[in-house]
Amino acid sequence: MLTRSLLAALFGLLFLSSLRADERVDYEKQIKPIFTTRCVACHGILKQEAGLRLDTAAFAIRGGDAGAAVTPGDAAASRLIARVTATDPAERMPHDEAPLKPEQIAALRAWIAQGAKSPADEQPERDPREHWAFRPVIRPLVPPRADSAWSRNSIDAFIAEDHRRQGLTPQVEATRSELIRRSYLDLIGVPASLEELAFIEADHDDGWYERLTKRLLDDPRHGERWARHWMDIWRYSDWWGLGDQLRNSQPHIWHWRDWIVESLNADTPYDELIRLMLAADELHPNDLDKLRATGLLARNYFLFNRNQWMDETVEHVSKGFLGLTMNCAKCHDHKYDPIEHADYYRMRAFFEPYHVRLDIVPHETDLNRDGIPRVFDGRLDTPTYRFIRGNENQPDKSAVLAPGLPKLLAFRAMTINPVTLPPEAWQPERRPWVQEAHVAAAKKNVATAEATLATAKQKLAAATATVADTESEVRVAELELAVATAELRSVACRIDALQAAWAKADDTTNNPALVEAERAKIAEAVTAERQVEVAKARRSVANAELRLLRAAADKKEPIEKELKGSREALEKSEKQGAVAVTPTDRFAPLVGAKWTPTRFFSSGADDPAVTFGPQSTGRRKALAEWITDRRNPLTARVAVNHLWARHLGTPLVPTVFDFGRKGIAPAHPELLDWLAAELMDSGWSMKHLHRLIVSSATYRMSSSSAGRDANVAKDPDNTNGWRRTPIRLESEVVRDSILSLAGTIDLTRGGPPIKPAEQVESRRRSLYFFHSNNDRNLFLTTFDEATVKECYRREQSIVPQQALAMTNSRLILDASKLIAERIEKATPVGAPNLDDATFARRTLTVLLGITANDAELAASLKAFDAWRRLPEGHGRDARAFFVWALLNHNDFVTLR
Amino acid sequence: MNTTLQRHERMTSNLPSRRAFLADASLGFGALALSVMLHRDGAANEPAWSPPTGQPHFPPQVKSVIWLFMNGGVSHMESFDPKPMLTKYAGKTIAETPFADAQDPKKLSIERLVVPDGNGNQRNTLYPLQVGFQKHGESGIEISDWFPHVAKNVDRLAIVRSMWTTDSNHGAQTQFHSGRHQNDGDFPNLGAWVNYGLGSLNDNLPQFISIGNREYWNKKDGHYLGPAHDAVPLRIDPNNPLDFSRPERPFAPKAQAVGVDLIRELNALRGTAYPQDTALAARIASYELAFRMQRSVPEVLDFSQETAETKTLYGLDLPHCRDFGSQLLAARRFVERGVRFIQIQHGAGGAGAWDAHGGLKANHAKNTLAVDQPIGALLEDLDRRGMLDETLVVFATEFGRTPGSQGADGRDHHIFGFTVWMAGGNLKRGIVHGATDEIGFHAAEHRHYVTDIHATILHQLGLDSRKLEIPGRKRLDIDHGNPITEIIA
Repeated sequence: MLTRSLLAALFGLLFLSSLRADERVDYEKQIKPIFTTRCVACHGILKQEAGLRLDTAAFAIRGGDAGAAVTPGDAAASRLIARVTATDPAERMPHDEAPLKPEQIAALRAWIAQGAKSPADEQPERDPREHWAFRPVIRPLVPPRADSAWSRNSIDAFIAEDHRRQGLTPQVEATRSELIRRSYLDLIGVPASLEELAFIEADHDDGWYERLTKRLLDDPRHGERWARHWMDIWRYSDWWGLGDQLRNSQPHIWHWRDWIVESLNADTPYDELIRLMLAADELHPNDLDKLRATGLLARNYFLFNRNQWMDETVEHVSKGFLGLTMNCAKCHDHKYDPIEHADYYRMRAFFEPYHVRLDIVPHETDLNRDGIPRVFDGRLDTPTYRFIRGNENQPDKSAVLAPGLPKLLAFRAMTINPVTLPPEAWQPERRPWVQEAHVAAAKKNVATAEATLATAKQKLAAATATVADTESEVRVAELELAVATAELRSVACRIDALQAAWAKADDTTNNPALVEAERAKIAEAVTAERQVEVAKARRSVANAELRLLRAAADKKEPIEKELKGSREALEKSEKQGAVAVTPTDRFAPLVGAKWTPTRFFSSGADDPAVTFGPQSTGRRKALAEWITDRRNPLTARVAVNHLWARHLGTPLVPTVFDFGRKGIAPAHPELLDWLAAELMDSGWSMKHLHRLIVSSATYRMSSSSAGRDANVAKDPDNTNGWRRTPIRLESEVVRDSILSLAGTIDLTRGGPPIKPAEQVESRRRSLYFFHSNNDRNLFLTTFDEATVKECYRREQSIVPQQALAMTNSRLILDASKLIAERIEKATPVGAPNLDDATFARRTLTVLLGITANDAELAASLKAFDAWRRLPEGHGRDARAFFVWALLNHNDFVTLR
Repeated sequence: MNTTLQRHERMTSNLPSRRAFLADASLGFGALALSVMLHRDGAANEPAWSPPTGQPHFPPQVKSVIWLFMNGGVSHMESFDPKPMLTKYAGKTIAETPFADAQDPKKLSIERLVVPDGNGNQRNTLYPLQVGFQKHGESGIEISDWFPHVAKNVDRLAIVRSMWTTDSNHGAQTQFHSGRHQNDGDFPNLGAWVNYGLGSLNDNLPQFISIGNREYWNKKDGHYLGPAHDAVPLRIDPNNPLDFSRPERPFAPKAQAVGVDLIRELNALRGTAYPQDTALAARIASYELAFRMQRSVPEVLDFSQETAETKTLYGLDLPHCRDFGSQLLAARRFVERGVRFIQIQHGAGGAGAWDAHGGLKANHAKNTLAVDQPIGALLEDLDRRGMLDETLVVFATEFGRTPGSQGADGRDHHIFGFTVWMAGGNLKRGIVHGATDEIGFHAAEHRHYVTDIHATILHQLGLDSRKLEIPGRKRLDIDHGNPITEIIA
């Protein structure tokens, strides 16, 4: 330790000596960054601790409550230096953080010694209320069309205005085959089939493109394609844990995925999507279809730690819907945005009561097989505390925090009204389909038992010898049927008893007849359950007898013992069945839903059960309404930025989850606001936005920079959108395209995810693959599949493993042959008359959207020539090789 | 020839900066062209962030790292940090010994549990050492009898006996690699930072390789640095070393070769229609690297060129150490060919094979039998080839084990003090740094959090982790750690 501090001291000296007295310190470059990064969070526009601001040199000199912080010309007398060099941690600034580095202190000293000079026009930090993203969305005027020949709609008017200002010439429109490929992949995630392609190519009338994009937006595959985008942002994940133990997310969470797909296809308004995902249980408490939406929150389930669960919820609701990094306020006030430390926990308080349960769906009573994972307010009174320095072991119990919002964003008062739930919501066994499912399951057992009995009887009828054995088998089957029948009766009686109980509970007149009816029905239900027990005991006895009969002489003894036990149990259950039912006897109610247990207190045992109650706090409903309020400045801006990024390859605001002051301002602020206004004014219709964007000239441009050297010189990174930005296709689109071209794709929609072991053989669309933190498909992962913990933008890496997957995988090698065959067959001349040149041209168009030039054609024919000389290159095989090569072309995995 | 493709690719994804592309010399742009074009972009005047150049920040002492990680938690007391007091006071509770203050709640407060667990608890009754110790080498450092081959190399080791971490669950595996508790989220692992910061020494091979079992800890490395900085998983099987490294259907090599030429030619022709398309250039280069890797990797894994003596040295003829021995021999061959970071995990099953909650003696005896001879061989082999100074070998595990017994014959997870050693890489040789208290409970002298190991390695590689930071991804001081200067030669 000694050595290290010595070294540090030496280093400091070294630096000091290198900073000669006559060497001028540059305020802007050396001093201001220290203030900005280390001081102004507490001494700036957001807060003025001790009355001090340090966002300008003038403020520093003026000082705070204790007087001047900086005395120009005298570092030793400057309070600033005293405080940053104090040895007592209580005195030293920045408070509770790492001290300034020796070289930074040296620079401060030198700057003060040199007179604490700063530019005369230095501006103080701007009021955060003036930050662009926190100001209301006001629909900007569409600029007069600067380039009327090029512009197609208002989007282009904004872009053209920037082109005009920057002196940029927009790129020409992409070719027709490029546009076809682009719109298919962008809007439905698979390329046009050969038939579709031929159909579009034959449409020579004006408006072909509009007709095409309209068809695609109406295509059910559109919902699948764009669901995957939103699943990235909303953190879709199938469940994961350790071995069979569920630790994260939920089983059957795919219901939420299906809800997303269906909602996008139905163009359910974006604000409605948010409301349903956050609070369908409060808004539509008995609507299973809509309850699926709360998978968004059910997905955050974490078996072991409530704080981690809540942290993820706060972080991603804020980032995903609001573009706010609330998570930066977990341990202290936000350094850049007006979000207090307590605001983080106030946001958490909206979610504090919620837990997760599985609801029974029609026709299935086994929650291991199916069920809707959904949220409900289960712990209404759990207090929310601020954690000191974010440490969960240090809650500040002096104040319980109520749900609330950062002041700056409280554009209206937040009123939270508790929601009274209908009985079916918190007593889900009341739902008709739950009762029907239980009855159906019991009936199915009876039918199975009847069939088994019939088989056994046939066997007995046909038997010639060892009749005793077969007779015994029939006896077991008869008793099995008796059990099933008793269970069916028990289910019916329990339903009757429950209904009688509900009738009594729902009655406000205290009708004694209802009280008596309930008592009688409960007695029947209890009796029916006892009869099930007797039937089961009889079956056990018969089972043991059958096994005894079949056992070898030396193996009989233990079975005899068991038989004795079974007989005793039977006797006991018969006795119990004969006892009169008393008012305290209870029957097992039907299961309508099951709380997903947590283990916050011990990894070895479930926590005490959370029960379903008649009230919900209404907190999440209030939050959802605030997020989707027309006056919320963030929601629509964040959404249109995501839409834009996925259509055009580059977001308008590059920091897609941070619209705060640390984020990057939009390149086209007026366009962003105009799109946000369009989204809201269209009734939050995403299809309206899709249509607008894909019909713009901006969208239809070529992604090439050819012929635009002047643009390249002025704006090499295409910041101003003078050409289209190519997109490396998402992993799902790569795989789905291959299957689609090969004609093997299975377009079944929805349902449980395809398990990892079945994925290699599966032909389903990739979004249906089981995908969690632990289980990810190898091929898809190679092309940057979404990481389930956070994926606001997909990676678009280009790595050698992708080349290996595309050259060597079964997927590609199998598809190459099939694609070649399909293209051959679809040509008008017919396969036998098709020459290699025609095949090459057509394949380049179908696979890549390329209209082959002479050089490309020549290269292709040269390869054909080489293949044709090989023994393996006859007939269709050479064409399969050619398809294989094109699947490996850069443009196959690129949205041009 | 000094930068990886991956770096530039990542940049084309989220930060479509032409500068990043131009900075990649492997794509054929010379330094001169680079400076000219940067100047035209006005970049020279911008203080803005730019991606790493692939050059070290200061002169490096070492080229490659072989990172050996024992999954499950090795008992420090029965490997490299002998504690005779355990035997002397065996059967007594810690409270009954002179070392009772080890359990002072204040000292225990660094622990951060994911959830209370049957494991990761205080174990109060001292459990005697299960193996003997001898002094070895000129340094006279004591090493347990379970590590006879490593012991022969003791004068090559720099042993750090004063490590601590905070996660008493096996999330500590992740924590050891990223420096962060798993409840904080996912962060890039050390190997990913090295891969991100340093250029390639061999354009035919992946620069960051992962070998062996990794069931429990997160299978990704790059996290926010991106998948380009994930380790490439590799199997010691010359016929199928990488995923998709061989055609999964019969494919005549000559036909494939014609196709490969056509891919190259058509992609290049596309460059006319799309000049300055950085992704296109990168795609072309990635295919070239893939084809080279397909040839190079099996060659590295083909041990036929190794002498019988070398193979015997690594224990390839012994069933109990053949697997790990092959992995280490492969590691040496990868290092010879300029691979930067080879991460080898040992110990499959559950949370890791070394997780000896019960039957510690049998468990550690079996595991050490598998790893000891290969590790000793690696150190000796690297040294005799003159490679040890430019190769840093690390022997690590997620935490130690409790001085007290769990059940009749096991030890529980222990975060308060444990041992890691390093060798080669221009570190001092034959030294012990830091110490635990007399019962091996707390790191007592020169305490080091796991990121101090990271900082030491990065320092030897010539990297300053603070210069690798990415805007918007604030790292804490503890994420960076401090180099352990006392063991640097």
